[in-house]
Amino acid sequence: MITCARVRVLLEAYVDGDLATDDAARVHAHLLTCADCRRQHEQATSLPFRLRALSSPAPRPTLVGEVMRSVGAERAGYRRSWTLLIPEAVLAAFILWYLSGLDGLSSIASGVFGDLLSLGSGSLPHVPPVDVLLLLALIALMVVAAFHLSILVRLTPRVAHE
Amino acid sequence: MDAGAATQPLPMTGSSRAHLGLASAELVREAGGGDLDAFEELVRRLQRRVYGFAFQHLRDAHEAHDLTQEIFVKLYRNLGRYDAERPFEPWFWKLATNTTINYRRKRVPLPSEPGEEAADPGATPHAHDPALVEALAQLDPSYRVPVLLHYYADLSLEQVAAALSLSIPAVKSRLHRARGVLRNSLADAEELGRP
Repeated sequence: MITCARVRVLLEAYVDGDLATDDAARVHAHLLTCADCRRQHEQATSLPFRLRALSSPAPRPTLVGEVMRSVGAERAGYRRSWTLLIPEAVLAAFILWYLSGLDGLSSIASGVFGDLLSLGSGSLPHVPPVDVLLLLALIALMVVAAFHLSILVRLTPRVAHE
Repeated sequence: MDAGAATQPLPMTGSSRAHLGLASAELVREAGGGDLDAFEELVRRLQRRVYGFAFQHLRDAHEAHDLTQEIFVKLYRNLGRYDAERPFEPWFWKLATNTTINYRRKRVPLPSEPGEEAADPGATPHAHDPALVEALAQLDPSYRVPVLLHYYADLSLEQVAAALSLSIPAVKSRLHRARGVLRNSLADAEELGRP
């Protein structure tokens, strides 16, 4: 024997055919004898169809245009964000120019190497401090620019291709 | 909701005609590569279902419009994170659901609060099944979302499960529970409506 309360808990699973055979048979037998539960069963059967038939107003005809304008503005903002790299590139170029390009850099490197070798003998480094500072600034600038670049690349809209 | 209605033709630009024959997966791939015409065609295909989903959540045409726009802008921003090896629809509806939940959190007052429709009667068109719409609005969002995804947005149980990060039995259980609550609400409404 199954109660009305129990049948009403099981009705949706019964309608979807998700009940075990025994339970389904008990619910079926109960529905044959109980008019109230039969009414509930009719509601339960019609509900998925009513939900599917639920209507909403049509979207405004301007929706697509508005979305595309928002997206276009995002793209323009994204392109503008690349300009962040311009001052960094200018500054890096200036430092490189000041350090006389690769020759300057190699002379600093060999100077530092020579200083390291001579540390044991007790003599002091003779590389101009401003060159070392500029070299450190250049390295820091490169790190910041690489960080900016990684952010911009991550923001690029693209899908993973096969 | 009829999935065919989701592809109702609307005026389009000449350039987006070239994308008409493409499958959604191909459109997503091209849109992700920066093709705005492909993205526009994707928006056209999805707009009815997305707007309907937003409208059934918020029951306000103006806010549904805003939310739909927000969902599509989020889609554009997140195309880079989409894995083309996986089906697009569950991924997209997960994004739409999360955007909707966040939108509702930001939104004051909540849709079920009395007096909201009175504030702007033109914003909420007449529903053809008002008792069901009302019952749906009273449903807890954790039950309403699977109901709308499955019965309204036409997602399969597997797709709903993937979109909500739930197992299929969990989705079934929520749907059964939600329909039980809706059935009781409709029965109560009928009782009240009787002379």
